[in-house]
Parts: sequence; structure tokens; C-alpha cells
Amino acid sequence: MTRSSFIKKSPKTSRNWSLNKTVHICSSMGPSGSGKKTLIMALLRQIFGISAEKVKVENRTWKIDAGSRTIDLELTTLSSTNHVELSPSDAGFQDRYIVQEIIKEMAKNRPIDTKGRKGYKVLVLNEVDKLSREAQHSLRRTMEKYSASCRLILCCNSSSKVTEAIRSRCLNVRINAPKEDQIVKVLEFIGKKEGLQLPPGFAARVADKSNRSLRRAILSFETCRVQQYPFSSNQAIPPMDWEEYVSEICSDMMREQSPKRLFQVRGKLYELLINCIPPEIILKLLSELLKKLDEELKHEVCHWAAYYEHRMRMGQKAIFHLEAFVAKFMSVYKAFLIETFG
Amino acid sequence: MQRDIRKWFMKAHDKGNDNASTNAEKKPPPTDPKTETPVREGQEGSGRRKTSKYFAANKQKQKGDEEVEDLPAKRKAQNDGVQSVKAPPSKKVRKVEDDEEDDDFSVPKKKNGASPSKKLKSSSGRVIAQKPVDVNESDEDDVKNIESPLKSGGRGRGGRGVSGAPSGGRGRGSGRGGFMNFGERKDPPHKGEKEVPEGAPNCLAGLTFVISGTLDSLEREEAEDLIKRHGGRITGSVSKKTSYLLCDEDIEGRKSSKAKELGTPFLTEDGLFDKIRSSKNIKAPALEASKVPVEKVTSLPKKSPQKADLKTHKDLAAGSQLAKQKNQAIQRSSLTWTEKYRPKVPNEMIGNQSLVTQLHNWLKNWNEQFHDAGNKGKGKKQNDSTAKKAVLLSGQPGIGKTTSATLVSKMLGFQAIEVNASDNRGKADAKIFKGISGSNANCIKELISNEALGFDMDRSKHLKTVLIMDEVDGMSAGDRGGVADLIASIKISKIPIICICNDRYSQKLKSLVNYCLLLSFRKPTKQQMSKRLIQVANAEGLQVNEIALEELAERVNGDMRMALNQLQYMSLSMSVINYDDVRQRLQGSAKDEDISPFTAVDKLFGFSGGKLRMDERIGLSMSDPDLVPLLIQENYINYRPASIGKDDNGMKRMRLIARAAESIADGDIINVQIRRYRQWQLSQAGSLSSCIIPAALLHGSRETLEQGERNFNRFGGWLGKNSTVGKNLRLLEDLHVHLLASRESNLGRDTLRLDYLTVLLKQLTDPLRMLPKDEAVEKVVEFMNVYSINQEDMDTIVELSKFQGHGNPLDGIPSTVKAALTRAYKDENKSRMVRAADLVALPGKKKALKKRVAAILEPSDDGLREENGDALAESEEENSSDTEDTEGTGNGEKLQSELLSLNSKGIQVEVELKSGKEKSKAKKTPTGRGRGGVCIDGKKTSRQR
Repeated sequence: MTRSSFIKKSPKTSRNWSLNKTVHICSSMGPSGSGKKTLIMALLRQIFGISAEKVKVENRTWKIDAGSRTIDLELTTLSSTNHVELSPSDAGFQDRYIVQEIIKEMAKNRPIDTKGRKGYKVLVLNEVDKLSREAQHSLRRTMEKYSASCRLILCCNSSSKVTEAIRSRCLNVRINAPKEDQIVKVLEFIGKKEGLQLPPGFAARVADKSNRSLRRAILSFETCRVQQYPFSSNQAIPPMDWEEYVSEICSDMMREQSPKRLFQVRGKLYELLINCIPPEIILKLLSELLKKLDEELKHEVCHWAAYYEHRMRMGQKAIFHLEAFVAKFMSVYKAFLIETFG
Repeated sequence: MQRDIRKWFMKAHDKGNDNASTNAEKKPPPTDPKTETPVREGQEGSGRRKTSKYFAANKQKQKGDEEVEDLPAKRKAQNDGVQSVKAPPSKKVRKVEDDEEDDDFSVPKKKNGASPSKKLKSSSGRVIAQKPVDVNESDEDDVKNIESPLKSGGRGRGGRGVSGAPSGGRGRGSGRGGFMNFGERKDPPHKGEKEVPEGAPNCLAGLTFVISGTLDSLEREEAEDLIKRHGGRITGSVSKKTSYLLCDEDIEGRKSSKAKELGTPFLTEDGLFDKIRSSKNIKAPALEASKVPVEKVTSLPKKSPQKADLKTHKDLAAGSQLAKQKNQAIQRSSLTWTEKYRPKVPNEMIGNQSLVTQLHNWLKNWNEQFHDAGNKGKGKKQNDSTAKKAVLLSGQPGIGKTTSATLVSKMLGFQAIEVNASDNRGKADAKIFKGISGSNANCIKELISNEALGFDMDRSKHLKTVLIMDEVDGMSAGDRGGVADLIASIKISKIPIICICNDRYSQKLKSLVNYCLLLSFRKPTKQQMSKRLIQVANAEGLQVNEIALEELAERVNGDMRMALNQLQYMSLSMSVINYDDVRQRLQGSAKDEDISPFTAVDKLFGFSGGKLRMDERIGLSMSDPDLVPLLIQENYINYRPASIGKDDNGMKRMRLIARAAESIADGDIINVQIRRYRQWQLSQAGSLSSCIIPAALLHGSRETLEQGERNFNRFGGWLGKNSTVGKNLRLLEDLHVHLLASRESNLGRDTLRLDYLTVLLKQLTDPLRMLPKDEAVEKVVEFMNVYSINQEDMDTIVELSKFQGHGNPLDGIPSTVKAALTRAYKDENKSRMVRAADLVALPGKKKALKKRVAAILEPSDDGLREENGDALAESEEENSSDTEDTEGTGNGEKLQSELLSLNSKGIQVEVELKSGKEKSKAKKTPTGRGRGGVCIDGKKTSRQR
């Protein structure tokens, strides 16, 4: 169900990319749910034909010789004959070794196609913005040196976290999140394909809730379908469980500002982290919900959220920074409350 | 220090009030109105549950009588004292002993002095009249703060009335009352609201206090500190010797009932304050008293009857011995006290008497047991298997192991040869030492055999020798085999060997302990130590009160040598040592002890955490640079900062917490720099921001945030949580791989978690809840197959969707349905195509490499085969000969057979062989990797480079 709709969207933009056999390295960026991956897949299919879809998944351990010790790295790759897709940032702080060793190794080797021509292969790197600085530094030489045999497609959510050096070596393609009416169109298209009766305004509501993420929209559409069919026009669109939980934390923070509450919030934040919610997302969501505050506070809360997000990236223990943000917010908000209401 | 402060205090007023006398005279008037107000120290046991105000007046009379009794022929002195008020304050230096006098003739003045600030609050009419006193006192505080910045143990009561309680952080270490009691004890109701009085240093001397329940304004530790500082003694339980039971509310506990039984008077906190405060006003006579210090010294034992009681005959004997030594000591006073007062006979040893006796017996019997036997049999057969040829003394430094070894051997007429690890730089010993560790021609062995030879030659019949191997645990630091050689020496030795070590559980000594008789020395108690210290002090003509020495004994943690050294050092600069001096002295030079991270955090956050010096704080936080920050982070919210005083609606505290949290986050960032980029020079900055700043902001009393939580520091939660996060991420990654392998989607891991997981969960659980059983199970299994989700993955999905306070996602599913689902899945499992990644052990390797291989079933259409030609695109394949490639496309059957052979070798590969479809397989030939000729998606196992 989900796949069909993606394919629908991709032809629209892949026209831009049809020329890019000449472009060595592309970097595509855009918010999640805007179709970056779909676009890349479409591009690969255009270049390599149907074989690009015959991928295999491989999860293997690499032994890397780093001076005095050897490091074991486990990496999942998704590859076809002509391309390899991987997320080097999965290795955490050891991502440098992936870039230095594995990617270089892959880039070095040149495929030869059936007719004896020298071909080239494509490396798709996901989540480049999560790469550490060192990894990005080691990436840039690789990009240039092996450009003859290898094209890189970097995929990230935000280009601001990719170093200038890399960005300048890439053709930057920004992929905008779809507009709401576009989402509505896609949803209606899916409805038609699946033979669903869409009550008027329902698709619009789903699109509205989706935060302009097409993926989210389709998924919650599907969830609604599982939950209740035929649709009723005022059907509740269930939020994600973790989003619910975050908003719970938010209301906790708004209701009371005390050490005790801070302690409880810490427990809940831990709970989220344990459930593998990325801390950046938590912080972003927290600050977004907190923006529903008074006008005067909005600015300040945004500032602190950005401040602590930056620090979280520099640090390692996310909970410390989340907690610092919560404490800061509580302190600011409490002061504000006392000032306004006495 | 205290004296100096007084001086300053007076001087400050010289400026303000023109001269000291005015100051001194000024003092009484404001308090005069108070004379009729009762002195609140009268106590009576039973029935009083109200606070001090309620029954303050009662027992004062009786108390007064007592005081009068105490007051012998000192009236005259008192008069002198009054006159001498006008004397220049600068002369008013040092006297410990006259403080006792202060106490004695304090009675008349006491009424003047009775102006506790509490009263000040309650009787508003007199506030103005009393103001001058307050001014004075606050002045004093200021001066004190300026004067004694380093005096961390001091009484920084200040305006807030926060008195130092430096002993052991929050005093939990004292063990009195136990953890649970401590946790239950409430905060004092008027905490920090009263001025803590300042009295003459020894005004409580000879009195024994027991504290019970919650006091009105002081923490228990503060009260203990206050009493100790003024010469009083604190004990844990009520006995006949107890002079007062200090309590503000009668909680009917064991202490109070016992006290009533014994008729011990009760004393409220205010009463205590009055007592102390009253002593201060009579400071003036100090001058008078200072004229006759000599008599004071001599009369010391008489004045404190309790002290005299404690002395036993043995003590006296030892004392006389000391006196003898003292005479000798005068001649060679350059000797350090540790040498000078080293015990000369085993009986003088402090503590461990039974061990010394044991050692004595062992040494005495050694010859009969071994030497004679050795002579007879020329072999090493031992008639008593339990008897050991060597002895191992273990225990902390400074408790007399070496001394007892030397003494015992000397007493038995052995000649002790001491081999000492720290001496090994010396030439002779180095030789011996090298010998121990190295070749056979070593001096030890020579020594041993020589002795035997000497014995045979009948030359040294009387010259028995004992080898004392000191510090054996430090022995093998430089060279290996030292201990082994020592053991060998023990086996053949013909002389007794005494080994001495600090830590007998040390890894190095593991083998040695089997050959030795183990004697573990224990720390002497502080009473034992202080008894001895008093003897030493008397012999040296040093004036020290017993409380101070007990404090000293406690601070050095059982190390007698350290105590003596400290005492000698202090004696160089002063001839009278009191409690404060000892505390102050040892604050800086306290013996290093192992502190656990918990103790460190306790101290940092403790009530007196703000008074620690910077280096102490760094020391504490560095005691375990990994764990302490985590503990701090876990617990900082729990502390109610002492620095903010009155906090309206918690605003200030919240602000401080925010600052602390930010600082902790700073610490994390610095930690990344340290660990990742090896910027170790930042470690101090790291500990500063992750430990010291939060502690400095928030130190105070701890409170609980949760019901039923015990009031002491939790272990840092981060470690556990972090490992759970790691585990869950791994599980999620497994699920991710499986989903990818299903080729139904190619999503990222984060998207999987954020967007898909909820939907997946719904798909997996909703049908079970709503549809009839069989249909539901079929549907879910179908779904799982499509996405190649296996049961562990399903558990992962459920696990990751659990939130505290929310229902379990599996709620509402009947267990029969769950069981049916499991069964159905397992049934299908048998015929399922391998879609999921599984762990395949590769044969031929000792340790099976962990390898996850995902295999995907591909329709084998012909177009695919053509593309297979350039299927060697994988970079890592090119460096090995791809033998399979030459086999072309027709090797399907071969692969199958290989697969079967694999199976026969016990490798778990789940296969379903369908016509024309290749399955995953792991090939174990060392050179190559099995690649499906037909199926490019065939499982590939690549060799490790």
C-alpha cells in the first residue's frame, strides 16, 4: 500500500535528475517523508534498469585494523549489482572507520560490465548529516579520488549538518516536503486504487495531521483503515504512541515545575530513549509543543531548545541535555508564571 | 583560630565603639531585661512533649544548684575576671584550661547571657533592646569570614545559622542509628533560624551528651560538632555516665525511657545554647587564669574526673613507663615520636593483643616444631601439618605490625633481620632483594643455610635469627618471581620467617598465603588510641584534652603512627591543643582513605559541601571520574540547596537546578572531548563542570522525591538505561534487517521506529483482538510472513511500544489466541522459505563468526541470468578468485548438494527447496564464497579480510 504511492510521486521530480550521468555526486536533502529515498531508487532504476531493484541485504562484520587494535564493525548494506546502500552513521562514533576503510574499499574497485566497458557503481549513503565531523572529513577525499569509478549519493535531512566542504563537492538537490493538497491527491489516488470510500474532508484531515510528511500521511491513512472501515468523516486519527507520550511529558512540564516533576520527567524521557526514539526528535517535538505557550515565551523556549540540541550533538549522553532543557524550561516558565500571575 | 577571632572581634569594636571596655560594658545592658527570663537548661525527664518554650522555666533552679556546687572557691577569680574585662583584648590569648573555670563561674552571668535569638522572636517587645547583641554577633561573623577563609571546618554559622558539620559529610558514615533511621529523621523544624552560640572552648568539658530525636534548629551533625567543639563528649546511647540527654521533643524512644530510668536530666537545644553562650561572657577571666598555667597543667587529671576514671592500673603503669622514657627523651629529643614512643614490650601494643600472643607462641614453638624435626630427619617432613613455617601479618599501615614482629622476636631472644622493600635502594638490602627475586645464590638462602650451618658448628647457639620480610606485597613490583622464590625459601628455611603486608587479599600474595599462618591485625579503637595518645601528650608536657585526642584518633582512621606524627607536628607550634585545632589540622592532612563514589557524592552534596576547599572537591570528584558524575547527575535534583535560605515557592531552587543541569551537560560535552579526542588536559574542567559546580550550587539536605524512596543517594541510572537502549537498538536493527530482507520496503531505521512501528503493532495485534481466533491468527501469520517478521521481532515491536503508565499493547488479547499464534507460526516455520536473516555458524573457525545473512527469494527469470555476468560488482569480491563465476548458471544442483552437505554438518540453515529457486547457503571452502549462480540474491557469505 505504501509503495504504490511513492512511485506515483517520484516521476515528478526525477526528471531533474535524468541528466545526471554526468553529475558525479549528488546530495539530496529534505525532511523525512518527502520522498528522498524513493527518488534515489527511481534514479537508480533509470540508470541501471530493472537490476537496480534486485537488491540483497547483507549484514556483516568488518574487521578494521586501526593501528594497534582491530575494531569489529557490523554494518548492514543493501546492494544490487550496481549500487550499494548503507548508513555509515549506524556505527556511532566509529563511523570514521566505515568511511575510511569500507567506503574507500568499495569505491576503489571498479566494476566491468558485460561488454568490457568500464562501468561505475553508485554508493548511496544515508543519514549523512549524522556522520561525525571526522567521518565527513575523511569522506571528502574519497569523493574526489575515486570519482571515476564511483558515484556517491548522499542523503540527509538537513544540509546544515553537512560540512561546507562536502556540500561544495556535491550537486545539492533539495526535495521539498509535499504540500497538503498534494498529499490529499495522493491519498485519494490510493483510495481509488484500493477501492476505498473516502468521505469528504477525510483525506484533508489526514494530510493536516501528517505534518507534511507523505509517509506519515499514508501510514496514518492505513492505520485508520485498519481501525475502522468504512471511514466516517469525523473519525479520529490516532496519533503515534510515542508522540502521545511526548505530549504527556509536555503537559507534565506545564502543569507543575518542581524538582519532583523534573524527576518524573526524567523517568519518562528515559522511557522514550529506551524505546529507541532519537533524542533529537524528542527535543524537537518537546519544543514544538511548548511553543503553544505565551507569545513572550515562545522565542525563549525556541532558543533554549536549539541551544540544547546543539549541545546534545556535541555530547554523548543525550539524557543530560534533555534534562537540562527541561530544567531550563521549568525555571523559565516558573519565573514567567510568577511574574504574570504572582 | 578562635582566639584570633575574638581578638578581631574586639578590635572591630574598638573602631566602632572607641574602646574595648565600652564594648564589654555595652554587652550586658541589652540583655539585662532578660535576667528574669528563665534559663532554659533545667530539664526534667518525663512527660514533656512540647517544645522548649513550653517548659523552659522548670528545672532551672536545680540546675543552678548544680552549678553552684561546681563553683568552689572561684568567686575571687570571677571578680578578677570582671575587672579584667577592661584589659586589652589582645592579651586574651590561649587558655584551654581556664575555660573550665569559665564554666564554673559562669553561673551569675548566665542570666545575662541568656538571650537566644529564639526568644528574640517570641518576645517582640524586647527586640529593640536586644538589637545590639545581634549586631555584635553579625559583626563577629563577618570578621570571622574574612579572617578564616581556609578554616573549612570552622563554624560558619553566619546569618543563616548554618553550622559546619564536617565530620563525614551528612554523617551517615558514623553509622549511628543506621541508614533507615537516618532516612526517617525529619528536618529540624526551625532549621537555620537560630543563631548558633559561640562559647568558651571547654565549657562543656567533662559532660557527656546523648542526642535523641529531631532538634529544634540543628541538624544532628551540627549539634554533635557544636558539643564536641566545646569539649563535650557524645555517645550513642544513654548510660550512667551520660550527663544530659539532648532532645527537643520526647519521642518516647529507647533513649528517653532509659534516661528517665537513670534519672538523666534532659536538655533542650535552647538550653544547650544558653549553656554555651553563657560561657562566652566570662571569657575575660582568661587573662587572670593565664597567669597560672603551670598549676593548670598539673591539676589537669583532677579536674576531669571522668578522665581519671577511665585510667586503669595498667595505664598508670604504662604512664610511669612513659615518664621514664620522657626523661630519656629529653636527652635525645631529635627522635620522632613514633620512634620514641614505639612500644618497648609486647604488652604495650595497642590492640591486637591476642594476635601478638599468637605470634609469640608461634615463634616460641618454632624451633621445637621445625628445627628439631629438621635436625632429626634432615628432611622437611612436618609432624604437624597445620603448623606453618612462616607467618603473614596483614593489616593497614600504622597499626603496629612491624613493631610487634620486632618486639616479639626481641623478647624471645631472636635476632631480627629485617628485609624491607623500601630499603632496596640501599646497597646491602638491594643485594638481598635481588637475591630474593633472582638467582639461587641469593643472600636469603645463604642466610638461611648459613644459620643452619652456624647452628651445626655450635657457634651461635644463642644467636637465633628470625627473618622479617616487610612489605611483601610491594615486593614483586619490579620483578617477577619474587613471591615464588620467597615460598621456596620458606620451604627450605631453617629460621622462622615473618612476612608483613598490607593487603593479604592482594593477587600477588595468593600463593604465599598457603604457606603462612595468617594473622590479620585490626585497627585499634579510638578509645585505645586516645588513651595512648594522652600518655604521650603527658609525657611530652603537651596540653591536650581528651576529646581532641579522640577526634585525632578518629580522623587518622586507626593509624597510630599517623596520629603520633600529627601530634608531634602540632606540638611544634603550640603547647595547648584543643578540639578545633585538631580538626583544622587534619582537615588538610587527613589520611587518604579509599572513598567510594557514594561517599564522595555525599561529601560534595553534604551540608558542609560549600566549605570544602577546591582541591578537596577535585579530589572527591576525581576519586572515580566516571562514576561520580553519574551519581551526581542522578541525585542532584534531590537536594534542597542550603545556600538559598528562604525560598519562596521554589523559584530559586528551580533556577539553581537549571544551572546545575546545564553544567552537567557541559561536563558531558567535555567528556566527549576527553574520551574521543584524548584531550586529557580537560579532565579537571570536566570534573569541575560535571561534579563541582552542581554540588556547589545544590549542596544541602537531601529530600525524597518519591514515596517510599529511601533517603540516600541512588546509583546512577544512566548506565543501566544506556545498556537497555543499546539492547533495544540492536533488536530494532534486527527487525530492520528483516524488514529490508522482505523487500517490501527499504526504509531507514529511524523511520521504522518513528513511523512504521505503530502501524506494524496495530497490524499485528488488532486482528487478534477483534477477529475470531483462527481468522486472526491466519491473518497475522500471513502479515508476519510478508514482512518476514519473526516472533522475536514481534516481541521487539511490543517491547518498544510499551510506555510507562500506558497499557501493555498486548492487553486484551486472550492467552489462547497468543498460544495459537505461536503454534501457527511455528507450524509454518517448517515450510517457510528462508527470508529472514539468521545466524549461521561457519565451520572451520574455532569461534563461529557472527554473521547475519539475509536471503531473498527471487524469481529466477532469464533476464536475470544475463545480468549475472556482471554480478561481481561487489568490491570485496574482486580480491579473491571467484571460482563460482566460471561455473555459470548451471550449478544450481551443485549448490543444492553443497547445501545438503552443509546441513549434514549440523549448520542450521533453514531451507525450503523449491523448484528453480535457490536458497541461501553458506559455503565453507576457505577461498571463495558461495554465490548462487542463478540467483543474485543468493546469500553471500564473504570471507573476512
